[in-house]
Amino acid sequence: MHCQTGSWGSYMPTSRNTVGDPLERIERLASENAVVIFSISSCCMCHAIKRLFCGMGVNPTVYELDEDPRGKDMEKALMRLLGTSPAVPVVFIGGKLVGAMDRVMASHINGTLVPLLKEAGALWL
Amino acid sequence: MNQCFWLENGLKNKSCMANHRVGETGLTDSGPSSHHHHHIPYAVLHGMNVPASFIHQEGSAFDFGELEEAIVLQGVKIRNDEAQAPLFTTGRPAATLEMFPSWPMRFQQIEIGSSKSGGESTDSGSAVNTLSSKTENQLEPESPVSKKASSSDHQAFDQKPMQQQLLEMASDISRTGTSQNQSAAKPPQEKRRGSTSEKQLDAKTLRRLAQNREAARKSRLRKKAYVQQLESSRIKLTQLEQDLQRARSEGLFLGGCAGAVGNISSGAATFDMEYARWLEDDQRHMLELRTGLQAQLSDSDLRTIVDSYISHYDEIFRLKGMAAKSDIFHLITGMWTTPAERCFLWMGGFRPSELIKMLISQLEPLTEQQVIGIYRLQHSSQQAEEALTQGHEQLQQSLIDTIAGGPVFDGMQQMAVALGKLANLEGFVRQADNLRQQTLHQLPRILTTRQAARCFLMIGEYYARLRALSSVWISRPRETLISDDHSCQTTTDLQMVQPSQNHFSNF
Repeated sequence: MHCQTGSWGSYMPTSRNTVGDPLERIERLASENAVVIFSISSCCMCHAIKRLFCGMGVNPTVYELDEDPRGKDMEKALMRLLGTSPAVPVVFIGGKLVGAMDRVMASHINGTLVPLLKEAGALWL
Repeated sequence: MNQCFWLENGLKNKSCMANHRVGETGLTDSGPSSHHHHHIPYAVLHGMNVPASFIHQEGSAFDFGELEEAIVLQGVKIRNDEAQAPLFTTGRPAATLEMFPSWPMRFQQIEIGSSKSGGESTDSGSAVNTLSSKTENQLEPESPVSKKASSSDHQAFDQKPMQQQLLEMASDISRTGTSQNQSAAKPPQEKRRGSTSEKQLDAKTLRRLAQNREAARKSRLRKKAYVQQLESSRIKLTQLEQDLQRARSEGLFLGGCAGAVGNISSGAATFDMEYARWLEDDQRHMLELRTGLQAQLSDSDLRTIVDSYISHYDEIFRLKGMAAKSDIFHLITGMWTTPAERCFLWMGGFRPSELIKMLISQLEPLTEQQVIGIYRLQHSSQQAEEALTQGHEQLQQSLIDTIAGGPVFDGMQQMAVALGKLANLEGFVRQADNLRQQTLHQLPRILTTRQAARCFLMIGEYYARLRALSSVWISRPRETLISDDHSCQTTTDLQMVQPSQNHFSNF
């Protein structure tokens, strides 16, 4: 699947650091780009959230946890972070946690998502 | 003679269904065909105190007093002329008994014939008996009805044919003597004395015959009641089947009867009931909004009403969330809604952007800020809807791939995978409901309190009309039972639909 611009943001190669707190890694990865989505390739809701950002003209950075050797740990960490399952999709904007699909949609409807994206530099007028 | 006495008493007795001992039986003509004896007037069989007991045992609503009077006034002259026979058979009793075609018409002729064998008194008695039995036949079908209905209408109906019949006989039959007229006026008591002598004749046989007649009469009554019951049950069953068929095809579920129609899960049935209750609440809320707007309430009071309406919607989304866990297909296929609503269904409910579009055209002049806010809301909800739709499509495609299986269908393994994917449906419906809820919450943030109140009233009324449209559509006149030429049916349908379209003009 493609955004209008062609490809998914930029797929960052995961570092070779096998030792480390998964949550720490998540936070580090999240801060490296304006919009970061943690996803699972077969998850349809993840596909929906990707389409949402693409539809808005945003190029999110997507990490497919099922394609990451430490994905399982990160998934568990995310579940603890969110307090609910499933762990994915989960969105970080400007390094800060926004939440899962329901939070993202709610913020889009109440008009807080676009300013946040603009602030993070993911969206230009 | 004493013909009228017999007639009167016979008629009185006919009214008392419970009156077994007393001689209604003597006046029935349903006796076995083997009976060739002359009729003995019933009073003779049962002794002196019959007349009094007649009066006391009057159990029917039928007013025999009136009939008696009518008969006496018309001066019925009873005779034993055999020429009467055709008359007796022409004035058949009420339609109900005619449903038994096996009713032997010849019974009456036999009885009339046998009446000849007796003496003068017996002749007249039997003639009267047949007359009385005729009227009894006429009365018989009516009296259970009149007992139940006990309305004057029934009585009038009962009396008339009999009176006509009696008139007929009176006009056609030659008189045997004026003494018969006079005897009509005599009190019953007197007449009985004259005929007690006949009691000794074949008492045992007579008693047996009377019992036979009584038994036959009772069995006739039972049969008639049973058949009537069957008929009404059959009609009821047909109607129920039609209603069931119609409800099934239209898929219209009412909260109260959910679970009775088709295979509906308990979760679905529960939700349907809760939804029905929610619809009732919705009406109350709308009334509150309407009166609040008309009464020009203060903004804070109106705000309370608006907030309560939002909570009302929060409630249905909460209920839908629970229902999604137990029966997602019930929600996503919209079986809980009406057909017209189902037509516009998106992910198990209304499409928020459509709702906003509907509202935009009806909201009073908005400020520039409000216009921007509303269009932004519509736009963002459209984007969200699009995203969810695409995610849902991917789920469907993935499911298709799993079920198709590729070169080798792994059976259980693939079923398990497919099941897992199906479970994701719940998530999409939940997100769709979340989107609806957020949209409704956003409206009062953009609009003034008054505008928001009007807005929610419009939403409530819109869906109420949509539901009403479904009802009107379902109950529109159609060709049902009689299936004629198909082209005729279509024409009639079109013609019949025309008037119902006028309903819409009110909207």
